[in-house]
Amino acid sequence: MKIRRKKRNLIDIADSGALSDLAFLLIVFFIVIAVFNINKGFLLELPEKNSNRIVSTDDLIRVDISNTGLLTANGSPVEIRDIEKMVAEIRKVHPNMTFALIIHPEAKYQCVVEVVEVVRQMEVENFSISMMEDKN
Amino acid sequence: MKISRKKHHKPILPVNSMSDIAFLLLIFIMLISLMNYRREIKVDYPEAVFQEITQADKNLEIWVDVNGRLFIDAENIDLNKAEGLIAESIASDPAVRIHIVADKNTAYRNINQIMEVLTLLQHRVLSLVVKEKQL
Repeated sequence: MKIRRKKRNLIDIADSGALSDLAFLLIVFFIVIAVFNINKGFLLELPEKNSNRIVSTDDLIRVDISNTGLLTANGSPVEIRDIEKMVAEIRKVHPNMTFALIIHPEAKYQCVVEVVEVVRQMEVENFSISMMEDKN
Repeated sequence: MKISRKKHHKPILPVNSMSDIAFLLLIFIMLISLMNYRREIKVDYPEAVFQEITQADKNLEIWVDVNGRLFIDAENIDLNKAEGLIAESIASDPAVRIHIVADKNTAYRNINQIMEVLTLLQHRVLSLVVKEKQL
């Protein structure tokens, strides 16, 4: 007796939709990998070497960061949220305002980032950042 | 006379090769992941609510840990070597973006020394990398 073999039907992959699923998963994977490698932060423009600019004292806000992270603006102690208001007010009168940030060498980097964040958020064009003279 | 019609066969792919394709894909993905592998140093990122994308086409990351040690590509280097590597990087592509990835508790003097090097090399743009602050 002849035994009939069961005919196997081959599945058409293109019709099955598996390829589109695979392609979709790959796209998701690459997007995730790409997002992981993106740096976010603040762009600072550094001055030219030995470049000095003369700024009128009226156009200048000087903010100091002490070694303990205390902020002083033009000599008076301030909170980080006050700086935003101060910049907005001074800019109304002095549109070419210059923001000078003077930092103690031992000040924590986070304190610096907080002030830079305000400056970048307020889109202050003239921004200067420097370190206090190390007395040690 | 009966004219026999030419039979049209639908193109089919054998499913057996699916595992081979999956295996090749796996190797491909692993290789790509290795290429994108970012060598990191353990730092507590500074946090900020507002931030902008600072990534460029070509980037050089300088890592500063809490004790002020400098790392480039996970290699601990001194300032002189860092200066050499930065200069080399700028020479090969002047548009290279320099990123400072520093610990939030590190002293500012450690960041300032890198800024001084960049000013000396007349590289004008610097990126300070931060993490999004969770409110």
